[in-house]
Amino acid sequence: MEPSLLPLPGPLPGPPGKLVVAHPERKVQRALHRLVSATSCPVQIATNSDELLAAVDRDTIAVVDTAIARSIPGMCRKPARAWIAVPGEGLTPTEGSVVDALLAAGWWHVIAHPMPILAEELLVTVQKLLRNDVFGIEKYIAWGAEVRTYTLGDARERDDAVATIAKDVIGVGLPDRIGSLVSVIADELIANALYIAPVDDQKRRFRAHEVRERGRMLHGRDVVTVRWATDARYLALEVRDRWGTLEPSLVAASLASGKASLPSAESGMGLALAYACCNQLVVDLQPNVMTEMVALLDVRYKPIELGRSASFHTFVTAKLGES
Amino acid sequence: MTAFRIGRVDVRVDVDPSGARAVLAGRLDDTGPLGELVAQLPPGDVTIDTSGILFVNSIGMREWVRLLRALRDRGQVTLEGLADVLMVHMNVLAECRGLARISSFHASYVCQACGYEGPMVIDAVAHEAELRELRPPKLPCSECGAPAELADFPERYLSIFR
Repeated sequence: MEPSLLPLPGPLPGPPGKLVVAHPERKVQRALHRLVSATSCPVQIATNSDELLAAVDRDTIAVVDTAIARSIPGMCRKPARAWIAVPGEGLTPTEGSVVDALLAAGWWHVIAHPMPILAEELLVTVQKLLRNDVFGIEKYIAWGAEVRTYTLGDARERDDAVATIAKDVIGVGLPDRIGSLVSVIADELIANALYIAPVDDQKRRFRAHEVRERGRMLHGRDVVTVRWATDARYLALEVRDRWGTLEPSLVAASLASGKASLPSAESGMGLALAYACCNQLVVDLQPNVMTEMVALLDVRYKPIELGRSASFHTFVTAKLGES
Repeated sequence: MTAFRIGRVDVRVDVDPSGARAVLAGRLDDTGPLGELVAQLPPGDVTIDTSGILFVNSIGMREWVRLLRALRDRGQVTLEGLADVLMVHMNVLAECRGLARISSFHASYVCQACGYEGPMVIDAVAHEAELRELRPPKLPCSECGAPAELADFPERYLSIFR
């Protein structure tokens, strides 16, 4: 019997909008062009800030060298689909002070790591933006890696969840250092989901000063889920609340300023501490519906082989996202 | 010797003519006001050993800094066996500079020869000059004896010595 021949699919239509890559080095332009072209979205190259600003419109995702990014104050506030800052020179990570400056200036996407991490991180970031599909750690982890889930039934289960994750992380062969970092990140992100995310009718964070040892059943919007997975490249941790009340425009600046000062309020340093403990922190937000925090720890490289500062991304979507 | 618990931290206090010594072990988090320890220590110099502290979150860090500030007003504070997690966070916070003298601390080390990665104790007095220059000492790997190196950027552990 002859096999039935199915017609090959034609080229997929490209997503709407375009990508603009702005970098002064021709070699890096080529690498970034090849990389983001994987999205099938049209790509335009710019060599300096003038060319960049002339090319960017509301539907553009701009991928910008850090030096160009810092050359014009307020660049990231100009209308565009997204502004993404990428390392400036070849294989050098972005300096910590530069990352801090970009975060303080309000950049929602700052990639600190050079190739090959840049490639993985940039492609995921661009695709999340193009597809408006932002939720889930699966986007960062190789297919096949098992995702483990914990759902907190009571606020007092935070400690158990953190301890279980740390134990499981070490149990899969990752070093104690990673287990320790994951403990801090999970604790801070779960605490934020339990006590900072809930707001009342006046938008007051009414649980911010709640006694943390008090039991509280978690139903409906109070449910907090924690998921993690590792593919031996990354360890990815995800914490979701069902409030979606994080203020995205304030997060980046708070990470930069929160590094060097002690918290005056419960929420003050927690996110900054989580950011300091990971290699990439991602905020995925559907306002008034869900906040998802994803922390990625690179387990391939020694810390000194990575950037001094972590990458940071904020995605906001109106699309319902339960993956 | 007295022993008690503050939140999830087990505390042991010994007092002798040279001063007080407190040994802390457990989790520094939002469950315990660590400042209560001040009332349990006599005025004067104090040594705090935190080798047994395995976890600290942002609120635990705030409690820790409050404790050090309160003790600093009463005498010399020496930190011995400062836990890795505390050392890293203290290097991040500008407020921690000058709060206490660090005599030894734990840090993550990695051995290039056998791949071991784990905590080691650095004698901050013996290596004072190197630490001030952000040069972490090489230490013998606890598994194979080859020279192991600090597994992180030196400033994450050593900025506080500058």
